Amino acid sequence: MRRGSLVRLVVYGVLSGVVASIIAVLVPWLPTSASEEMDRIEFVFWFTTVICIAIWAIVSAVIVYAVLKFRAAPDDDTDGPPIHGHTGIEIVWTAVPAVLVTAISIVSAIVLAKNDDAGDNPLRIAVTAQQFAWRFEYPASAEGADDAVTAGELVLPVNQSVKLTLHSLDVIHSFWVPEFGQKSDAVPGIETTLVITPTRLGSYSLACTELCGLGHSTMRAAVEVVSQEDYDAFLAAEREGGGGGDDGEAVFASAGCGACHAFGPAGSDAEVGPGLDDLAGAAEGAGVSLEEFVRQSIVDPNARVAEGYQPDVMPDTYENTLSDEQLDGLVQYLVDGQGNGG
Amino acid sequence: MTEIAHHEDTHAVGHGAPPPRHGLAHLTGPGYVRAAWVTPLFWAIGFGIVVFFRWLGGYEPTLDWSIITVVASLVMAPIGFLTGIGAFDYWLYYMSGRPSRPDDHSSHGATSWRSYFRVNTDHKVIGVQYLVTVFFFFVLGGLAAMLFRAELAQPDLQFVDAQAYNGLISMHAALMIFVFIIPAFAGLANFAVPLMLGAPDMAFPRLNALSFWLLPVAGLMFVASFLAPGGAFATGWTSYAPLASDQPLGQVFFNMGVQWAGASSIMTALNFLVTIITMRAPGMTFWRMPLLVWANFTTSLLVVIATPFIAGSQFFVMFDRIMHTNFFTVAEGGYVLAYQHIFWFYSHPAVYIMMLPGFGIVSEVIAVFSRKPVFGYRLMALSLMAILVLGFSVWAHHMFVAGMAPWLRVPMMVTSMIIAVPTGVKVFSWLATMWEGKIRFRTPMLFALGFLSMFVLGGLSGIFLAAVPIDIHASDTYFVVAHIHYVLFGGSVFTIFAGIYYWFPKMTGRMYDERLGKLHFWLTFIGFNGTFFPMHWVGLQGMPRRVADYAEQFGDWNLVVSAFSFLLGASTIVFFYNVIISWHRGPIAESNPWRALTLEWQVSSPPPIFNFDEIPQVVGGPYEYGVPGARHAVLNGDRAGVATSEPETVA
Repeated sequence: MRRGSLVRLVVYGVLSGVVASIIAVLVPWLPTSASEEMDRIEFVFWFTTVICIAIWAIVSAVIVYAVLKFRAAPDDDTDGPPIHGHTGIEIVWTAVPAVLVTAISIVSAIVLAKNDDAGDNPLRIAVTAQQFAWRFEYPASAEGADDAVTAGELVLPVNQSVKLTLHSLDVIHSFWVPEFGQKSDAVPGIETTLVITPTRLGSYSLACTELCGLGHSTMRAAVEVVSQEDYDAFLAAEREGGGGGDDGEAVFASAGCGACHAFGPAGSDAEVGPGLDDLAGAAEGAGVSLEEFVRQSIVDPNARVAEGYQPDVMPDTYENTLSDEQLDGLVQYLVDGQGNGG
Repeated sequence: MTEIAHHEDTHAVGHGAPPPRHGLAHLTGPGYVRAAWVTPLFWAIGFGIVVFFRWLGGYEPTLDWSIITVVASLVMAPIGFLTGIGAFDYWLYYMSGRPSRPDDHSSHGATSWRSYFRVNTDHKVIGVQYLVTVFFFFVLGGLAAMLFRAELAQPDLQFVDAQAYNGLISMHAALMIFVFIIPAFAGLANFAVPLMLGAPDMAFPRLNALSFWLLPVAGLMFVASFLAPGGAFATGWTSYAPLASDQPLGQVFFNMGVQWAGASSIMTALNFLVTIITMRAPGMTFWRMPLLVWANFTTSLLVVIATPFIAGSQFFVMFDRIMHTNFFTVAEGGYVLAYQHIFWFYSHPAVYIMMLPGFGIVSEVIAVFSRKPVFGYRLMALSLMAILVLGFSVWAHHMFVAGMAPWLRVPMMVTSMIIAVPTGVKVFSWLATMWEGKIRFRTPMLFALGFLSMFVLGGLSGIFLAAVPIDIHASDTYFVVAHIHYVLFGGSVFTIFAGIYYWFPKMTGRMYDERLGKLHFWLTFIGFNGTFFPMHWVGLQGMPRRVADYAEQFGDWNLVVSAFSFLLGASTIVFFYNVIISWHRGPIAESNPWRALTLEWQVSSPPPIFNFDEIPQVVGGPYEYGVPGARHAVLNGDRAGVATSEPETVA
């Protein structure tokens, strides 16, 4: 290989690497990190990116060089030189990539171990997923106390290592807050865990990332990272309000009804399931009292399926997951909301 | 180079044309008329079996339509169709002791376009049947993609509801994977492999015909699920339990469609294995086989070992539904993650089933159009074997966030990283093959180069996904969607197009239009990158995959993606126009327009009915470009001048 062509090849490689680097720097690839774990994921991401840009620069330089330099003239019917291989160079391009991917593996394994480590005294929050809602159970104020708080919103104190334990009541769901980086499926029959150490105050959004049925794309929940004082205040306020509350409006929100159903008083406009603003008419059509109709539709949703909707879509587990008081409150809320929806 | 001209004059009489039929023979002879009454007959038998046993056992209701659908519509009716069309005729003759017509080649070879719509045992006809069929499903799968890209162009729901959306994405993937990419490679290999080996046909021509006819059954079964109450299967092509056990009836159309497509794959793979092992021409040692043959050899091993696993996983889901088994029912002791382990034990090797034949095609194309031997031929073949072995040790990298045993993650990461090494060897060898070559940028070469660059990007994003901490963030997002499309579209589909353009003259006897071919390439290349490249950062920033609706912040990029996806869709119109017009009245192709050395180019275009007048004698490697006086094979009495020292491998 002549020196001139080597220089050109290197120039192409550098140019290609610069272009790739500019794309890598200018595009906002990752959300702004909001957890220690995401900081480490970002490190692995950029470590891998640097190696990949180098590989891409080499490959693309050779392709561009070959396309420009080795194009046959239209009247040239000859063959290229019969080069069958070169053992030395084949060993190099087997060994070098092997070393590079091993390096990425080692960095990844170290980061994985750190991201799995919740430290000695993490805050433990139980996450329950079901079609198509999230519930969060915060620990009791003291060992043995029965004032655990359940809410439909995830509130985390900043700079505190949190260990989430995930459960699912029906199908597989997946917990992901992009700014936290960490993700885990919630699997029926299995307890999975996730470690998150939030570092940035703010509001985030939790999205389900495992296809879980009709309402999958609406299965989101609000996440707040607050100071320790605000976190304590949040828990205290929830306890005041009766531990998650049998107030119908709170139950409607925490049970995730609004993910699928439009209901004027709650301000929800989802279209996965039938709207809840004219239940009186439906009850009349079914020939039962409004209250009975609403209650049965919650605990045994397949008993009457609204026209145009499928059976087996709405979970039939609410009788077990809601307390009697919560169920009463929810029914009352829905009954009271008839006729004043929008 | 010797051409075998006028071959058909000597063989066509008595071949290809079915014997004339009279009266009742129209109803009882193989064909669509018989299929038209045997299919409903078999459906009725299935219906009768279900109703009889439910009545006998006293089960209520006697008419259980979900079970009737499975037994009568998805099992018995397809068997009836295959029987009617004549896929089993020979074996039924044989079993019933009637004359089995051993010398009757009436269903071999093509005499007119009608021959392509009958059960035909000629591997060249079957290859074309495969390709036309898979492009039919490619159009349907593409239209599904156009529909959901229209939906995704803006946040919120505009055109379809959530169930229809989930149905469209599932249908798109199922059609593209099971009845486009996998069988498209089977079709190309069906046409090319026996010719490349110097064999007159596949080892089991009748099995080959049956394999093909299972394919329209599988594809139509997927599509027919739109007619099921509740709509098409809507759980993605991965169809995870327990969601899939509790869905509307359309789900069983997927469970069973996979069985038919899988059976087709397994039979074809067995056929390739036996053909490659036993039907190589004299002198065609393993180290003289073209890399396309090597690629299909390894692919077939993958198919035979892995495909039964997906068959099992889909049966388990279906049994949970209709037989009330509890494979994945947690309350009854089922284990949900078992589904994913079994599913991915097939479906990760399936990625290589969809990739290795493309590697083979690209090796042929790059060598021929660079006019150089494949660089490091033996290492190229060995790296295929390495991918075959390693491919079975990486499945759980699809499950890093699935809640499986945590210790399994690091070993699976390491194997997933290591499998990049043999893949990298192939990429570097292709680059070295082009180095100092005399490159001609015909359409197949453009697609091969498009493949090379896009597949490298797909491989690099694969390294990100293999690294567990990054995967934990990126799993189930649009980053994964971008990655699989760089691998399966930038990889597999580009190589399929390369293969179609490359063998088009050999298959049809006519040349395609080069300018339209190049236009097709550039539209596809631009449309492809515009569609899938932005998905990388859209996903990493926080957009999950498989959502009908998404957060406002991703609206702009999704609009860009949708716009480019329509360009990508439109690019295929150029392809279809080119293929149809050229097939109809393109310029007559020479026997060897690319001046290639492999055997399929040493016979006429299209090849004679039994490929070779005389079994060729292979005397050298398949890629000896630039070697003075080198030959791959000698044909037709020309062997006097060439020493034939190798022992004969074919009796």
